[in-house]
Amino acid sequence: MTTAASKGLSTCHLCFKLAPADVHRCPRCDSAMHLRKNDSIQRTLALLITAGLLYIPANLYPIMYTDQLGTTEASTIVGGVILLINLGSAPVALVIFVFSVMVPSGKLLAMFYLVWTVERHSPLDPRQRSIMYRVTEFVGKWSMVDVFVVSILVALIHLSGVLVIRPGVAAICFAGVVIITMVAAESFDARLIWDNMSDDMDDESNELQRDAGPPL
Amino acid sequence: MRGDIACPGCDLLLNIGTLKHSESASCPRCGNFLTKHREDAYDRVLAFASAALAFLIIANSYSFLSFSASGLESTMTLRQTPGALWDYGLPAVSVLVAAFIIVIPAIILVLMLVLCIPLRQGRHHPWLAPVAKLTFLAQNWAMVEVFIIGVIVSLVKIAAMATVEIGESFWAYVAFAIFFTAAVASLDRYQCWERIEALGGGTQ
Repeated sequence: MTTAASKGLSTCHLCFKLAPADVHRCPRCDSAMHLRKNDSIQRTLALLITAGLLYIPANLYPIMYTDQLGTTEASTIVGGVILLINLGSAPVALVIFVFSVMVPSGKLLAMFYLVWTVERHSPLDPRQRSIMYRVTEFVGKWSMVDVFVVSILVALIHLSGVLVIRPGVAAICFAGVVIITMVAAESFDARLIWDNMSDDMDDESNELQRDAGPPL
Repeated sequence: MRGDIACPGCDLLLNIGTLKHSESASCPRCGNFLTKHREDAYDRVLAFASAALAFLIIANSYSFLSFSASGLESTMTLRQTPGALWDYGLPAVSVLVAAFIIVIPAIILVLMLVLCIPLRQGRHHPWLAPVAKLTFLAQNWAMVEVFIIGVIVSLVKIAAMATVEIGESFWAYVAFAIFFTAAVASLDRYQCWERIEALGGGTQ
């Protein structure tokens, strides 16, 4: 089992080109090249803390206001979920709950966990942690659903004096949380999970895993 | 050596070698997907991307959703979705929403067309590498499928308050999202860069 780093090769993040570790510009696509992403742990941690702090106002402040016949009602993200359950649309409440509550908080926790295990050179199953990272990365943008819902409701519902929906500050905080956690996931270098492992995994081969596509 | 690659997920050195049509490769150690070879990749990208662009133009031309309550009616177009946020004093969110659902996807589609026409014909241009780089950098930031879920959730939310009608633009946007996703999925990053290099791209 050989890694690129052990052969003194770094790989381009953008186009997968291999080059000697002392080359700092990808010869193929001109991106910056590093053996490992620069200060991956520090950057990821800093972004995660920022997102975690921003997540507090995102949940405390209203994400939208409903003005109906002279009365104004403010609703937070969690408040919106509860309101939907009371209105009897439990499936939609579940969708909002999964995308706006479970995904962002789960993503923050998963990234903190990954950073923590890498920092203390944890021997925990690296393959499982790799899968965890890929899921976190994939699921990231799906929490934008709530921001989109607010933008659609605001654009659609503006019957002055009867029914108007206005956006709240939590919308920008929440959009910030989603974007910052996406950047955090991108600045985390998944190869760090494996770097501590190399010694006791000599039985691994460098043979590619192939899957024939559907017979079309 | 040609076909050598280091898994971006765990740094294992691998050789892709030659893949058969429609065969895909992944890392044996961490399970990361690496590449999928398709002989008709560029035909597919061109077809899906042009269809997506056509539907995006249609999606911008008609009413997206309309709703009525207490005898009053209001209609919105796709462009008004981010526009209204601007009017309510949230220009940052407005710009982000416009970028994620319209601007970035449109840029990606145009870049894919510009990239895949010469790649298909086997012609080299010095701008192939920068265009490909921009295409792949932008891909993380297109959220068309997320927006569709957002629309569906909104529909159910409003249905509790008033009557909603789905406009032509909504269906055009759904078609756009399907073709956009298919186009992005058809453009394999590794294969694309190998092709550019084989045509004489890169600074070396």
